[in-house]
Amino acid sequence: MAGQSDPHLSLFSAEEVEFMAEDEMVEIVPNMRMDPLNLLCGDYGPFFPQMVTQVPVWLAIALKKRGKCTIRPPEWMSVESLTRILESERESQDSFQVLPFHYVEISRLLIDHARDDIPDIYMVRSLVEDIRDVRFHKIETSLESFEDARSSAVRIKNLSAMEVNIVRPFVGRALQAFYKHGSPDLVPNPDKVPNRWQPAADPVQKRPLRKR
Amino acid sequence: MKVRSVKLREAHKSSSNGRPSLCSILWDHQALNFVTASSSDPTIAIHDPLLLSSPPKLLRHHRDGVTALALSPNSTCLASGSVDHSVKLYKFPGGEFETNITRFTLPIRVLAFNKSGTMLAAAGDDEGIKLINTVDGSIARVLKGHKGPVTGLGFDPKSEYLASIDSTGTVIFWEIQSGDALHTLKGIASDSGLDLSARNVLSWSPDGETLAAPGLRNDVVMYDRDTAEKLFSLRGDHTQPVCYLSWSPNGKYMATSSLDKQVLIWDVERRMDIDRQKFDDRICCLAWKPIGNALAIIDVMGKYGMWESVVPSSMKSPTEDVPNLQSRNGFLLFTEEDQELSTESGSLSDIGEDRLVESEPPSRKRLRKQSILERDLDEDGSNELISPPKVESHKKAHHKNKGNTDFVSEGQTNKAIFNGAKMQEAFQPGATPAQPGKRRFLCYNMLGTITSIEHDGYSHIEIDFHDTSRGPRVPSMNDHFGFTMASLNEKGSVLANPCKGEKNMSTLIYRPFSSWANNSEWSMRFEGEEVKVVALGASWVAAITSLNFLRIFSEGGLQKHVLSLDGPVVTASGFKDELAVVTHASHCLPSNDQMLEFRVFNISNGVQPLRGHLPLTPGSYLVWFGFSEEGQLSSYDSKGVLRVFTSQYGGSWLPLFSASKEKKSDENYWVVGLNASKLFCVVCKNPDLFPQVMPKPVLSLLNLSFPLASSDLGAEALENEFMLNNMHLLQIQKQIEEMSRSCLDIASLDDEIFNTEAAQDRCILRLIASCCNGDKLVRATELVKLLSLEKSVRGAIKLVTVLKLPNLAERFNSILEERMQNESKGTMQTNFPNSNGNASFKNDIALSKTSTSTERSVPSVTDLTLSSPKLSAPLFTKKAKTQVTTEKPELNHTAMVNDVGKVKRIEEVKNAGKLNNEGEAKKAGEMQQLQSHPPNNPFSKPLNNQEKKTGEIDKVQVQPHRPSNPFLKSSVK
Repeated sequence: MAGQSDPHLSLFSAEEVEFMAEDEMVEIVPNMRMDPLNLLCGDYGPFFPQMVTQVPVWLAIALKKRGKCTIRPPEWMSVESLTRILESERESQDSFQVLPFHYVEISRLLIDHARDDIPDIYMVRSLVEDIRDVRFHKIETSLESFEDARSSAVRIKNLSAMEVNIVRPFVGRALQAFYKHGSPDLVPNPDKVPNRWQPAADPVQKRPLRKR
Repeated sequence: MKVRSVKLREAHKSSSNGRPSLCSILWDHQALNFVTASSSDPTIAIHDPLLLSSPPKLLRHHRDGVTALALSPNSTCLASGSVDHSVKLYKFPGGEFETNITRFTLPIRVLAFNKSGTMLAAAGDDEGIKLINTVDGSIARVLKGHKGPVTGLGFDPKSEYLASIDSTGTVIFWEIQSGDALHTLKGIASDSGLDLSARNVLSWSPDGETLAAPGLRNDVVMYDRDTAEKLFSLRGDHTQPVCYLSWSPNGKYMATSSLDKQVLIWDVERRMDIDRQKFDDRICCLAWKPIGNALAIIDVMGKYGMWESVVPSSMKSPTEDVPNLQSRNGFLLFTEEDQELSTESGSLSDIGEDRLVESEPPSRKRLRKQSILERDLDEDGSNELISPPKVESHKKAHHKNKGNTDFVSEGQTNKAIFNGAKMQEAFQPGATPAQPGKRRFLCYNMLGTITSIEHDGYSHIEIDFHDTSRGPRVPSMNDHFGFTMASLNEKGSVLANPCKGEKNMSTLIYRPFSSWANNSEWSMRFEGEEVKVVALGASWVAAITSLNFLRIFSEGGLQKHVLSLDGPVVTASGFKDELAVVTHASHCLPSNDQMLEFRVFNISNGVQPLRGHLPLTPGSYLVWFGFSEEGQLSSYDSKGVLRVFTSQYGGSWLPLFSASKEKKSDENYWVVGLNASKLFCVVCKNPDLFPQVMPKPVLSLLNLSFPLASSDLGAEALENEFMLNNMHLLQIQKQIEEMSRSCLDIASLDDEIFNTEAAQDRCILRLIASCCNGDKLVRATELVKLLSLEKSVRGAIKLVTVLKLPNLAERFNSILEERMQNESKGTMQTNFPNSNGNASFKNDIALSKTSTSTERSVPSVTDLTLSSPKLSAPLFTKKAKTQVTTEKPELNHTAMVNDVGKVKRIEEVKNAGKLNNEGEAKKAGEMQQLQSHPPNNPFSKPLNNQEKKTGEIDKVQVQPHRPSNPFLKSSVK
């Protein structure tokens, strides 16, 4: 990982990002009756058999492991919507499709723990992976605009947690570099050529990214 | 309608990016071969219709996609035009390349042969239509006049005119001989723009009298041959512009395909569509089989298919009566290829010759025409003879079909089929109809399911509980009886089958889930009788049979009761001790309304507490019937209206849900159950009326709502909540009454009633706010009087002050004051009971006051009960309290009208009256006995009247006793 060389830049491990994603809500269909759970993070339930309720992913997985519920995969995790997203991801090189902030983690968690509840699981898995790859690639290419666009800002919409996490070390460093080399001339002027070239040193940083 | 599907096979690879490409398909004149091409594929494929599986003959001469194909009328010569700008000629059917007959500077879009095959017209993105002499390849003429790419060409079968259409929708009629544009019709078809896979086309009718071209309104417009006037149009169910059209060989039918992916077959004479089919992709080319009743189609993905028997066999075949014009040049009627070959080779200037020939043998022509006429007459005659019944039969078939679908949809729900006025058949709530090869629900309730699937000869039955952690595990069973009815509760399941012939008698089986004895399953057989409906309750099993017997068995299988019902059963449902049965009261009304009657039996007490007519939405039938989680009787009809029974107004049904108000027209609700505020149902997407066993259906919760009229207030949601809360209060109250009667603890219900009251007050406050905003001040004051907590009244005053309605605030204040006065008077009297000097009276007052005050402040309950030692039973006060909640509106109202003292009296009167009425208030009862005077009080009448005005809820209860109340007189005087 790019950021590991620099301990000052905070970087979450994939597990940590996944942990944070476990607070996202999913729909479950319990097969037991249970009173509401009043927890620090909120009240969930009551649970009635065959009636859909919303719970955080961690609770859904915990119940699933005990065979107390089935998880309803979210709408966007259907083959049709993923196919559509993948297509439009591929079509537009600049923009990112709207996906849940934690789509990588949630799909991973659900695929790992609720295999029997997801129709066409293999298809879903490969689609999610494809989408992820396409998007990661796009992020890398769009970050190259640091280099050529002569601007110190890159605007990327609809990034997901995992994606942000991956670009964080690079972007952080790049911004630090910009800062270091003087804010007065963020608008590059021809006199300060070295300034402009500073970020160009970053491809070294980017290489490892591309492998992902 | 017979569901026909055309199987499509791939002929040409669609373009790699999945974009639609323009494909073409053609028949040779004897239907021996057909040719396909695609604009994304440089090859042309010649297929043999008899050997579709064998690979087609491929011609690879073009360097780019083939956009246009044309076959000479005698099918000896194939022409192809391509994106690579060339037009090539091939021998047919051999496919040997002959020549590059011409080149363009831009892609070719369309090719057409004239009737003799001597002239080829080619056009495309280039300016001008080239008329090419096929013999020597010389260009006879270039017709210039189109502003956009020419996408459609058509030689008139009489070879006088050429019609062309371009992508902007302009049609030009050219005279071939002179090369003049005779008529230019601008913008008559839609502008297809630059989408090359959608083109404007045109086609001459085989008799050459009309030209068909797509219109602007998703229709096909017919133009006159000579005048280019619009004759008529075929307008129907295309929702997007027509992109291809093709006349049947005889010109009686037309096939059109549209951008909406539909292909419609039209009867041109009747100007209506006779058949249609929807495809996955747009069909971009159609070709009628010249011999036989079939249509070749190809879609934009390069997949082709044969639509067999396009025209219904009841109608004339599309190849019958092919206009004789088609036998070209009018040489002989039965000229075949040889003949044509000769004409083709022999006619250099086809136009002149054609003219000549046409004018030459008039006699023969007339003859021919006569024969045609005769045949036509014959046809007409036969048509007249045959067609009316045909139409009839068609209609009948349609009707039958409809009947069938009705049958299916209603049969599906296993419920009544009504053709005409038919009585609904018996059904089991929560069952789905049998579907071959699929598991079905025999019973689905809030507890679990009983499902069954038929294997050869026997069925496989599974019982599952929704709550897997609590319900017992029931082993699945094989059923050789063929059970179709089932019911399930916590203790056991009951299954029954109808009788099938003499050997297979109707049988009822009860299986308890857990029993201390080994073999506690039992069964009953019914000779000459058939079980229609089964129901299950706490330690009883009920079966209602075809003889209208209601048979009640104990849990162990003891036959306890056999009752005779007075009508054929519709359905039944059990809940604890109660069994509800729905029967037909009489034959249906002619308006198709079922006449149903319900009755509720209490099995353990052996009584029938309720009985009455079961209301249904006009024209509907009963779909579900059962009890809510709280035990309220409920019904759901096929029009999607849920009704819940209430004891209000002497027992009525409240419509509490309407599927039509849910505003989701594509959903059907399959009711499973309900509780006080929600309806539990399985949502089925149209046209499904019921769920499948797999995947496991998920229950959806829908809010109950009264079908309220849209009021000028615009706060239906609040009004609905208000009414629902009122209903709940009533229900709880009833429950409390019942429980106190059986001396049970009602503390939890007290809390519930308090909570509901608080919720109701919140709701009323919001309603007041919206009333004030809507300037409905009278309504606001009415609402204030309905508030149950004093705090809420103060809140309401604050609210109106904030809303700057001082006049209303004043009114509210006076209401509050009266209220407080009532209370204080009440307490005063309790505190100084001796002032009245009547011990029993004192008691009574104490009682009524406690009731009012407990209601307001809970702690005082204990005080007051202490202060009146005779009132030792807390039940009693509680009871009274609940009554007071409903009385409040009346109290307040009268308080407004009368002075405080009177109010107090009324209160007493009421309480006493009510208590007497209940027969529970023993004290009051005694008092009555002690001092029973005739109702000679002069004031009692007007008082009563006032009560009448205001009395909403328990008027009935209160009134009869009021005049006889002894205290009334004494206190008034």
